[in-house]
Amino acid sequence: MNARHPLAVAALLVVAAVLPSGCAAPGPSEPMTQKDVARSVLGGFSIGGINVGAAAGAAMNAQEAYREIPESEEIVMGNNIAAGLLGAAPLVKQSAQERYVNNVGRWLAVHSGRPDLPWKFGVLDTDSVNAFATPGGNIFVTRGLVVQIRSEADLAGVLSHEISHVVLKHHLKDIQKNAQKNLALDLASLKGGGLAGEAARAVARVGLEGFVRGLSREDELEADRLGVVIAARAGYDPYGLPAVLQTLATLPRDDSAMGLFLKTHPSPADRLAALETAMPASFEAYAKANPALARYGQVFRGETVAVPAAQTAPTAARPTTAPAAAPPAKAPPAKAANPPPTK
Amino acid sequence: MIRTSKFLALALLAYAAVAGSEPAVTVRAIELKATPAADGKTVVALPTDSAVDVVSRQGAWVQLKAGRNTGWAKLFDVRLASASNAPAKSGTGSNAMAQTLGLAAGTRTSTVTTGVRGLDADMLSKAVPNPQEFATLESYASTKEQAQTFAKAGRLDTRQVETLVAGGAKTGAAK
Repeated sequence: MNARHPLAVAALLVVAAVLPSGCAAPGPSEPMTQKDVARSVLGGFSIGGINVGAAAGAAMNAQEAYREIPESEEIVMGNNIAAGLLGAAPLVKQSAQERYVNNVGRWLAVHSGRPDLPWKFGVLDTDSVNAFATPGGNIFVTRGLVVQIRSEADLAGVLSHEISHVVLKHHLKDIQKNAQKNLALDLASLKGGGLAGEAARAVARVGLEGFVRGLSREDELEADRLGVVIAARAGYDPYGLPAVLQTLATLPRDDSAMGLFLKTHPSPADRLAALETAMPASFEAYAKANPALARYGQVFRGETVAVPAAQTAPTAARPTTAPAAAPPAKAPPAKAANPPPTK
Repeated sequence: MIRTSKFLALALLAYAAVAGSEPAVTVRAIELKATPAADGKTVVALPTDSAVDVVSRQGAWVQLKAGRNTGWAKLFDVRLASASNAPAKSGTGSNAMAQTLGLAAGTRTSTVTTGVRGLDADMLSKAVPNPQEFATLESYASTKEQAQTFAKAGRLDTRQVETLVAGGAKTGAAK
């Protein structure tokens, strides 16, 4: 029997007890699933002032909170959350940067436990220093974080931490837990709802609120540990993440750009201490220098033109990457994500 | 290791472009090493809370300047000086602080707090879904094959790496 939650069993008993005798109650030989039963009464009828439909609905929501969400639903849910996040901050839309981050991220994801998700990566146009992951494989870093990053290995460290949240289903579990608290929210009605449904929007709100609530300290430290492993598996120096954490620890704690990040994560110093004890000396062997990764500076600092003359043509074809073309700071979508080199 | 010197030369080439250094303190008593290796020759012993400057990073190691001495210590042996110790928030203060750690070529410019509204709790709670922007996000996605081509150009090779446990493996022995 599949009774995974006592409430679901309770709902089954209530329904069986109140069904009129003429109704097609399932006999012992043709058992309905608990979900079927719950659905059949969702219209609701009242017994002694108690809305049985609502009770069954509540039971189903409780059960929803514990069931394994199929990957297809997880992806829809994550895409809704991503669309919401993009409503709060758009992409920088510098295609060279966006594609670069997608290449680094996808290569890392190939080395994760969920290589076949529809992974998507984006740089959000906001000064806030932060990174986000939604269920189903949407990963975001902010422009404010990117300007603190100095190499492809650093970027890989940040992205692999976020990929780890998806692989470990941290946000998915958080959403299930919090959806349970809101009985009006039925994760099951997401099925076939697509991007537009009201239920889908409600779940997306729970997901967005999750970025404000933050995950547990344990989830964050676990994502750090798996993140450095994914980076190493993908051929990167695994000390990129600790190097970024070192930098983040230097930023003023009272800076508004750091507010949400610090509120929702253990302190960078705590995370560094935990990584130090977790990373064995054998990891040093993975940290060899790789001059081929100097390409990071070409994409994010406009250093391309300085190198071989043969490469200037394709670069010129992408006007958005020209650092000199930075528009006034008032126009957020077009704001330069890479400050021009100062020397 | 025979490869060490070639490796070092490459590392220096890759990381030498960084100008300046970043103030930090040692979080424990350490021995500054002549090379980024545990068995490197000791240059000088430094007590906890020594003021140092981080010149560059090479994997798990950072090159430090301590007074007249230069040498290597573990990344985890130091903490970069926090900006709260810096002279106010005049921009240049946090810029100088966040400047080095010695990685890839180029100069970072810290732009924390430049006036554009940040992504805070309020913005997230009021966010209206933007499906059009989501479509743009999808348009930038890489396929596995594109990622493989990218990795090949970056000389990134897949490696077998064991997962980590909190607090580190009890045996601690490298395989």
